Amino acid sequence: MTSITNSTQAFYGRSQLHIGTLRAEAEGLQNQLATGERLSRSSDDPVAASRLRMLSRQEQLGAIDAGNARQASEDLQLTGSALEAIADDLIRARELALYAANGTTGETERSAIAAELEELRLRILSNANGIDSGGNALLGGEGSGRAYEVAASGAIVYVGTASSGTIDLGGGQSITRGLTGPEVLDYDAGAGPTDIFAEIATLAAALRATGGDPAGAARDALTGFDEALDTVTRNQTVTGSRIAWLDIVQDRQIDQSLTRSRQIADTGGVDFASAVAELQQVLTVLEASQASFARLSNLSLFNQI
Amino acid sequence: MTSSLIQIGKSGAMAARSALELTAQNIANASNPDYARRTLSLEEVASKGSIGFEPGGVLSGVRPDQVLRTTSTFLQNEARRTSGDLARAQAELSGLSNVESAVEQAGIYPAIVDLEASLSRLASDPLGGALRAAVLEDAGRLAQTFGIATDGLDVAEADLRFQADAGVEQASLLAEELARTNVSIARTRPGSSQMAVLHDQRDALLRDLSGLLGIDASFDPLGRVQVQVDGQPLVSGTQAGTLALTNNPDGSFALSVDGTSVALTSGSVLGRSQANQALTSLRGELDTLATSVITTLNTAQAAGSAADGSAGQPFFSGSGASDIALALTSTGQIATAPAGEPAGSRNIGNLQALREALSTNGPASEADALLFNLSSAIGARSVTRDALQTIADTAQIALSAETGVDLDQEATNLLRYQQAFQANGRVIQAAADIFDTILGIG
Repeated sequence: MTSITNSTQAFYGRSQLHIGTLRAEAEGLQNQLATGERLSRSSDDPVAASRLRMLSRQEQLGAIDAGNARQASEDLQLTGSALEAIADDLIRARELALYAANGTTGETERSAIAAELEELRLRILSNANGIDSGGNALLGGEGSGRAYEVAASGAIVYVGTASSGTIDLGGGQSITRGLTGPEVLDYDAGAGPTDIFAEIATLAAALRATGGDPAGAARDALTGFDEALDTVTRNQTVTGSRIAWLDIVQDRQIDQSLTRSRQIADTGGVDFASAVAELQQVLTVLEASQASFARLSNLSLFNQI
Repeated sequence: MTSSLIQIGKSGAMAARSALELTAQNIANASNPDYARRTLSLEEVASKGSIGFEPGGVLSGVRPDQVLRTTSTFLQNEARRTSGDLARAQAELSGLSNVESAVEQAGIYPAIVDLEASLSRLASDPLGGALRAAVLEDAGRLAQTFGIATDGLDVAEADLRFQADAGVEQASLLAEELARTNVSIARTRPGSSQMAVLHDQRDALLRDLSGLLGIDASFDPLGRVQVQVDGQPLVSGTQAGTLALTNNPDGSFALSVDGTSVALTSGSVLGRSQANQALTSLRGELDTLATSVITTLNTAQAAGSAADGSAGQPFFSGSGASDIALALTSTGQIATAPAGEPAGSRNIGNLQALREALSTNGPASEADALLFNLSSAIGARSVTRDALQTIADTAQIALSAETGVDLDQEATNLLRYQQAFQANGRVIQAAADIFDTILGIG
């Protein structure tokens, strides 16, 4: 004999299934609200999880790029102030050369001028050997030691590398991180290539020499100083424009970082308003089905007999 | 005549009492999932075909005939099949989730990104000792995460194998138990309570067995069962086959019945086999990823020169996820400068190459693809599992709606049989009254 009955066990089984499903849904929503994250493991939403991995990678690398850009900007600012100091010294050297070029300047004064010029030469040397935030020479290119050294002969020679390295700023952008000594201090004033140190040394030697034409030598040096000043100012402009370029890059990096944060929030974050509303809805249904279950399960014929 | 009336009343009272007892049994077992509702069939007792001295025949009352057990072969079969499918999906999913946890919690992807990040940071000051130390730390951590992931996979694999072995062992026990039940069924009188109990036991055993292996069951008229797995008899009459589990090279498990290998279609043993196969292929992918990290970084490193101007030494040693280890011993050995640069060069040409080796279609995207494939496989399987869960639950509810105990119905029966008992008591009372009346004459 088979007959379809309202089996007690089937009733409890069905109720358990419905209430259990609702409860699991409510707990899932509660978990989202508690953590603020929509995904608790990758398999919750594989595509979003992969996107989140990519975004957080970009975010991490972007933070490093921003740090690198900041450091490059600081190093360039240090280079800029070194160049400014060198330019000031050059202006003073030119002034001294102008005094010396005057035929009435006496021998004592000339030797005083020569002494000050030598002093200036050493000051330019110390500025040229200035170090950046990493402890390396500002004008030394890619080498790790000093940029200029004093040779046994007293001449000041460049010991850095021929080019300065670039630094990657992310997004395919890179920037030359500094200037080399020869780029700033070497020039050609018509009498073959030379540098500031040699020019000043030659002038000081000519001023100290007995006999000869010190005033003429000083006049000759004036052209050299003009050319040297030109070169230094030109490089100041280069440094300034690089810093401006870095400012633009940094602004862009901040924009990108904001965009990424928004994307991360959109992809993996919880929309609290809708999650709370959804939770409320599920809870209402759950409450209703619990109440109706309690009433139905009370409805037994055994209570009536 | 009067004694016959008393006899009839007695038989009716006894039948009502049996029916009441059965009702009580039904109520007691209302929450037992293995219990199928019993009903009592009654048979009239009347002598017939004798020499006609009383043409109406002699009525002798009623007797309980058979204890009937409500059953539905189709629904039983459906519940078994769907629960086998569900057990397979659940076993596979739980195995894969363990694998996902092992790989994801090891943090291979974040470790690769950290190494990339510390290489990027090194670009700002290629000779800075702290930055170089950070690169070595992150590289060492990357190598360790591979080790952690491999260990996690080992644990997950051992767990799968253990559970599959336990499942097969349990299936063997269940098959033997079924064979014993078959023996008992043959010895028991059909229609007795004992037979109903044996049939309940048989169905419970079959349900457990199909959750493990996925079986075909057929029954003979007595109710003895013959169980086949992939056409190979597992339980036949009083004989139970021997089950054995072996490993395939691809990580799946091979099951044999009495030495003949069989292909499973459902059940948790199949689910574990599928999970273990996925685990083995993931282990291969993890090895490929580790090898790719080792080769790309070692190649890039070999093309550069270290801080002291010497040629770049290999970054990592090892040949796979299980033995990858950091080979560099000092921070100076990271080859940031291109080959041929003098000692102390701040040229970052080769550092860029190292970074690009990691980022452009390199290990980072491979690790992402690996995690994505795994998690989307799990995502798809959860959907399947949920669907199968609903189907299996529905089938189980349909079965218990058909064969389970309805307490309202039993309450009605209780009243009905109580009344029948009382009515039969009245019959006996009436017979006694008639007898007294006859005796009182005269």
